[in-house]
Amino acid sequence: MSCVEAEKAEAGVFERIFYPRRIAVVGVSPNGMGFGSGMLAALRAIGFEGTIYAVNPRGGEFFGMKLYKSIGEIPTPIDFAVIAVRAAIVPEMLEACREKGAAGAEILSSGFSETGTAEGIALEREIRECAQRGMRIIGPNCFGIYCPGSGLTLLPGPELSRTSGPVGFLSQSGGMSIDFAHLGKWMGVKFSKVISFGNGADLREAELLRYMGDDAETDVITMYVEGVEDGEEFFDTLRDVTAEKPVIVYKGGLSDAGNRAVLSHTASMGGSARIWKSVLTQCNAVQVHDLNEMAQASLAFSCLPGKVYRGISVAGGGGALGVSACDSAEQFGFELPPLEKGISDRIMEILPKPGSSAGNPIDVANPMVPPEVLKQTLLYAAEDSRVDIQILVQLLYHYKSVALGLGVESVKDVTPYGALADAVHDVVTTTGKPVILVLPNNKRDRESLDIEDMMREARDIFLEKGIPVFDDLTDALRAVSHVSNYYETKQRRQQGI
Amino acid sequence: MKIIEDALKRGAKALSEHESKLFLAEQGIPVTRETVVTTEDEAVAAAAAIGYPVVLKGSGEALSHKTELNLIALDMRDEADVRTAFKGFVSRTDVEVKEVLVQQMVKGDRELVIGLTRDDQFGPCVMFGLGGIFTEILEDISFRVAPLERIDAMEMMDDIRGKKILGPVRRKPAVDRDVLADILIALGQIGLDNEKIKEIDINPLKIVDGKPIAVDALVVLDN
Repeated sequence: MSCVEAEKAEAGVFERIFYPRRIAVVGVSPNGMGFGSGMLAALRAIGFEGTIYAVNPRGGEFFGMKLYKSIGEIPTPIDFAVIAVRAAIVPEMLEACREKGAAGAEILSSGFSETGTAEGIALEREIRECAQRGMRIIGPNCFGIYCPGSGLTLLPGPELSRTSGPVGFLSQSGGMSIDFAHLGKWMGVKFSKVISFGNGADLREAELLRYMGDDAETDVITMYVEGVEDGEEFFDTLRDVTAEKPVIVYKGGLSDAGNRAVLSHTASMGGSARIWKSVLTQCNAVQVHDLNEMAQASLAFSCLPGKVYRGISVAGGGGALGVSACDSAEQFGFELPPLEKGISDRIMEILPKPGSSAGNPIDVANPMVPPEVLKQTLLYAAEDSRVDIQILVQLLYHYKSVALGLGVESVKDVTPYGALADAVHDVVTTTGKPVILVLPNNKRDRESLDIEDMMREARDIFLEKGIPVFDDLTDALRAVSHVSNYYETKQRRQQGI
Repeated sequence: MKIIEDALKRGAKALSEHESKLFLAEQGIPVTRETVVTTEDEAVAAAAAIGYPVVLKGSGEALSHKTELNLIALDMRDEADVRTAFKGFVSRTDVEVKEVLVQQMVKGDRELVIGLTRDDQFGPCVMFGLGGIFTEILEDISFRVAPLERIDAMEMMDDIRGKKILGPVRRKPAVDRDVLADILIALGQIGLDNEKIKEIDINPLKIVDGKPIAVDALVVLDN
């Protein structure tokens, strides 16, 4: 096979793994909820697009589905398999799936190298050998693949979103993959593919990163890694891929080995945490420190045009916005340029008085300024050439007092988030400068659950219009700084020194 | 490379300061002019050849913490200074000083540190940062995995909090970043080419008229 043909064949294999037409779920117990039955139920609930064959050696039925007694008994070839049987018989099941034509399989079972036992390590070697005979393996000891486009889902992921998006996620940890998938659903992070690869007997960080780098469905790559198998390969791959797409890395278990036997100061200061940080900087990967920061950065990369942002305008009212905005902006290397005189004069003409000011941040005086006034404010502020991006902080929860005053039952009925979303969308379209919404909710007591409901609906409406929403100004600024820093470094390196 | 091979053969865990610098100079890293001597008269002759003022240091692979051992005599301005310092070193009873290093006295106006370490996962890594006593106090340092591209070397200089130290400071010219980049790249290459070198410290790397020069160095061997 030529190189090009080999690449095409490889792409075909991945296509059959992520978009399988026929899959086998091996290890479905008719009674009780094991991994196999849990996965089968999840696949049916989420609406997997292909045909599912369930396998159990005792046969029988599972909620009306026939259980095949063996993989060999399945009447057609298969593309992909989910393996959830005890570790000892996993190699045998894999081999049967390969003979059935499977391009790949995910192994949910544990009991392999992670146990540290000779038996577990030997079984994992058998898995690798099976892979070498011509099948790609995800896992073992993982939660599998989530692909909104095909309806493959994680364990346990019956309620994950079916809406595809630009974010790919690779995770050594199964728990992190399901957490991010759920978090993404409400925060507005939409996934192309999520891969929990567990022990990574066959496919793991470097090769999967390369795949995502080439994947047309993925524009933003995120990954959670604890350790890598081959540092040099990982480094080279990461550096190559970030030249094309942003790669957001959450490195788990960062610590400096304190008592290594070393003679030099250089070695004593060069512990693994520092080296990892350097590697990520050197490769222009976006380093994040927890799941929330990873999700926020993903949202920013998904929604914002890829460019360097320096000047920011911040507008809002009814909170202690001014000083905190300036402090946070400075912390992340942004400027809040005082708006040009002419612009700030025009803004002052339309803002309620007293209490407003139109420097930067722009204090609109109160949280109930009508959407059309906010729209005009943002339109004016965008005229300042030093403003690259605008942030609107809206304390929507204050509308609860309006609802109470008017005797209206739900805060939803009095909060103009729909009109605000339209207004902001118009501003972005007209000015070409992105606007970010920050919607803090400081009123989270149990009597105010209607606020929570309203805020979630508001968030969804903004997100539908492509406007990123954050709970907190600092989170928003940090996320934008990740985008800005990535593109700044990328541009600098492309231009040379 | 003969220096490394010889040291490995005799079972040394590290090169002496002088050997370290001979090796680094071979790799294109600028180092101080210096000579190892064993007699007082040799010390005087060496000082005259190097040019006053000079520094005298107790030499030998067991003596890697010369400051703590009080085995450094700075700013020796004439023959009498050299003779007094030499006698002082060799007559010590707490440590055995068989050799003395006579070295060009480099004043310099800034002190940097550069070094090499090996990471279990990523291999040889180059360090850059604030030197002298501040290395340990501030740990204002950055690392890059070797091989370093030129942009890596340039970016790692900007990675430290105290990066202004490279600019023009107090009427002293800016540090020649190109030369510094060459040195950082060379250090990474040393790590790639010499598996038996475990660690390197060059501290201080002093700046004289904008140019860096290695004033003290330690090459640790995997032996």
